[in-house]
Amino acid sequence: MATVKDKLIQEVKPGEPVVAGAKVTIVGVGQVGMACAISVLQSNVADDVTLIDVMKDKLKGEVMDLQHGSLFLKSTITAAEDYSETANSKLCIITAGVRQKEGESRLNLVQRNVEVFKHIIPNLAKYSPDAVLLVVSNPVDILTYVAWKLSGFPSHRVIGSGTNLDSARFRFLIGEKLKINSSSVHGYIIGEHGDSSVPVWSGTNVAGVTLQSLNPNLDTENDPEEWKKIHKQVVESAYEVIRLKGYTSWAIGLSVSTLAQSILKNLQIVHPVSCLVKDLHGIKEDVFLSLPCVLGSSGVCGVLKQPLKESETTHLKKSSETLWAVQKELKL
Amino acid sequence: MHSCNRIMATVQEKLITPIAGGASEGPRNKVTVVGVGQVGMACAISILLRELPDELALVDVVEDRLKGEMMDLQHGSLFLKTPKIVADKDYTVTAGSRIVIVTAGVRQQEGESRLNLVQRNVNIFKHIIPQIVKHSPNCILVVVSNPVDIMTYVTWKLSGLPKHRVIGSGCNLDSARFRYLMAEKLSVHPTSFHGWILGEHGDSSVPVWSGANVAGVNLQTLNPDIGTDQDKEGWKETHKMVVDSAYEVIKLKGYTNWAIGMSVADLTESLTKNLSRIHPVSTMVKGMYGINEDVYLSLPCVLNNSGVSSVINMTLNAEEVAKLKKSADTLWGIQKDLKDL
Repeated sequence: MATVKDKLIQEVKPGEPVVAGAKVTIVGVGQVGMACAISVLQSNVADDVTLIDVMKDKLKGEVMDLQHGSLFLKSTITAAEDYSETANSKLCIITAGVRQKEGESRLNLVQRNVEVFKHIIPNLAKYSPDAVLLVVSNPVDILTYVAWKLSGFPSHRVIGSGTNLDSARFRFLIGEKLKINSSSVHGYIIGEHGDSSVPVWSGTNVAGVTLQSLNPNLDTENDPEEWKKIHKQVVESAYEVIRLKGYTSWAIGLSVSTLAQSILKNLQIVHPVSCLVKDLHGIKEDVFLSLPCVLGSSGVCGVLKQPLKESETTHLKKSSETLWAVQKELKL
Repeated sequence: MHSCNRIMATVQEKLITPIAGGASEGPRNKVTVVGVGQVGMACAISILLRELPDELALVDVVEDRLKGEMMDLQHGSLFLKTPKIVADKDYTVTAGSRIVIVTAGVRQQEGESRLNLVQRNVNIFKHIIPQIVKHSPNCILVVVSNPVDIMTYVTWKLSGLPKHRVIGSGCNLDSARFRYLMAEKLSVHPTSFHGWILGEHGDSSVPVWSGANVAGVNLQTLNPDIGTDQDKEGWKETHKMVVDSAYEVIKLKGYTNWAIGMSVADLTESLTKNLSRIHPVSTMVKGMYGINEDVYLSLPCVLNNSGVSSVINMTLNAEEVAKLKKSADTLWGIQKDLKDL
C-alpha cells in the first residue's frame, strides 16, 4: 500500500548530502562548544553542523535540543558517533578540553589538554584533510601549535581564536568610554591570549583619528584618563566572568562565529587570530601568537605588517620565548 | 600674570563634536528576560542573534551569576546589534520594556510532570509579576516557566493586564518539534510541513491531524486513519515523540534550552515587528469551544505589537474539543485551589 509520503510527493532526484557545501564540525559540547554551535547556526553560514564529544548522552541530548529548533534554522545538525561522520568538513572548531578553573592561569592547563588533543587532531585531519582547524581550547596559543604539529597541516590552515575575543572586549570598553558603538572603534590586542597580551595603542582609532594623537600619554601611567586600565580590564575579564558565573561562553561563541563566517565565505576580513609567527617581528621560534590576519577559505590568507613600537615587539618576543619554553617540554 | 587653571580636554571631547545634545531617547524595542538560568539565557542569546531589541535587560535573584551573564553578553557587543545590555536584581532596570519574558522558577526534574511544579512557582511569581508591571505598564508578558498554562493564568491574575497582553509560550515548542519530526519522515524542511499541536502544553496536548498538510495537500485525505490506533503507518507515534521529547532531552543533558530559546525568539519577533503571524500560544480561552473557566490553553493566535490580536477559529472534531475541555477542567481543578491570586 502506498504510504502518505508516496502519495504526497513525486520523487524526482533525492538531494545528496551536501559534500561541496559548508560543513562545520565542532568538537566538544560544553558551554563554549554549544555557544559556538548556536551562534554558527543562527548566522546561517554552515549547511551542516556536526557535533562530536566523548560524553555520548550529553552529545545526543544537545543535538536533539538543537534539532527541535530546526523550524527556525537553515542547517542540518548531526551528532557524530565517531570521527568518520566529521568527514569533509571545511572548518573544524576545537573547544574540547578541560576548563580553566577560577584563578588558574591558562599555562597551567597545558599537558592535560595535550593528551586530549592527541586523540582528536589526528582523527580530524584524517577525515577532513583539506579543512581549516580553529582551536579555541586554552591555553590557545600553545594548543594551536600542538594542533599544527599533530595534524601535519600547512600552518595557514591551523588558527587559534587567540586575541579575537580580547580585541572585541577592548573595543567594547573603549566604545563605552567614548559612547560610540564598538564596531566604530578600531583597535587590536595582539600577541599571547591572556595575561601578557599587547594592546596596540598606536593604531587604535575612531574614523581614522588615533586616540594617541589626541592624548600622547594614553599608554602610560601618567594619563589622568587612565586609558591603560582598559587593557588591564580586558585581561581580567575572563577571570571575572568565571568568578561570577563559573565559565565564559556567549562572547567566545559569538567571536568564533564571525571567524567561521570569514573562513566559510572567503570574506578576507582582518581578524586578530593566533597564527604561526616565526620570522615575523624578529621571532625565531615555532610559536603561534595573535596578529591581524586576513581570513578566507584557505585559512590565513595574509598577515598585516603592523608597525609596532620597540616595546611592543620586545613584548611579543618575550611571549614567544615563554611559550617556546613550555612547548619544547611537551610530549607530542 | 594670570594663573590659569586649565582643565585638560578629554580624548572624547577632542574627538567628538556633539550635535543632538541632551540625553538620547529611551529604547523603542526593549526586551527584558526574567531568570538567567539555561532557558532564560537561551532566550536572550537567540533574541540578540535575531537583532530584535535595542536594549536587553536581565533580572534574577542570584547576583553573581546575573552580573557574569550580563558581562559575557556585553563582551560580545561587537558582534551584535543591541547597543545596551543591562542587568540588576532591582526591577527598575526593566523599566520601559515592550516585551518581558518570564523564565524564572524551578526546573522540571527528571520524570516530574509539569503540574507538580505549580505551587513552588506561584510563590516566586507573586514577587516578580507586580514589579514588572509597575515598571513597564504597557508591556506584553510572555510566560515560559512551567507548568506554562497555569503560570500564564497566574501571571494574568497577578498583573492586572488585559488578557491579550499576557501570553504563554504554550505549544509553540511542541508544534515546532512536531513539524521537525513529521518533516523528517516526509523528507521536507520543517517550514514546509504545516501542523498544529494545541491545548495543554505537555502530556495532554492535542495534535490537530485534520489540519496537517504540505503545500495545502491534507495528509488525512491521503490517509484517513492518520493519528488513530488503526493507522498502519503509525503516524500517531510522532505526537507521542513530541510529548516525550522534553523528558528525553532532560534525561540526556539535564535540561532543555536551545529549542525553547529559539521558539521564544520567534514569538518575540512577531510581537516586536508587528508581523501578525500565527503561532500556537497559550491564551485565555474562556468562551471558546464550550469552555467556561478562566483557563489558558494554546490556540492559533495572531501575534503583533498589541499582543494576541485575534484567534483563529480552527475546525476541531468532537474528540479534539473534548480533549481541550478535559484539559480546561484539569487546569481549573488546580487553579481554583491556588492561594492569594
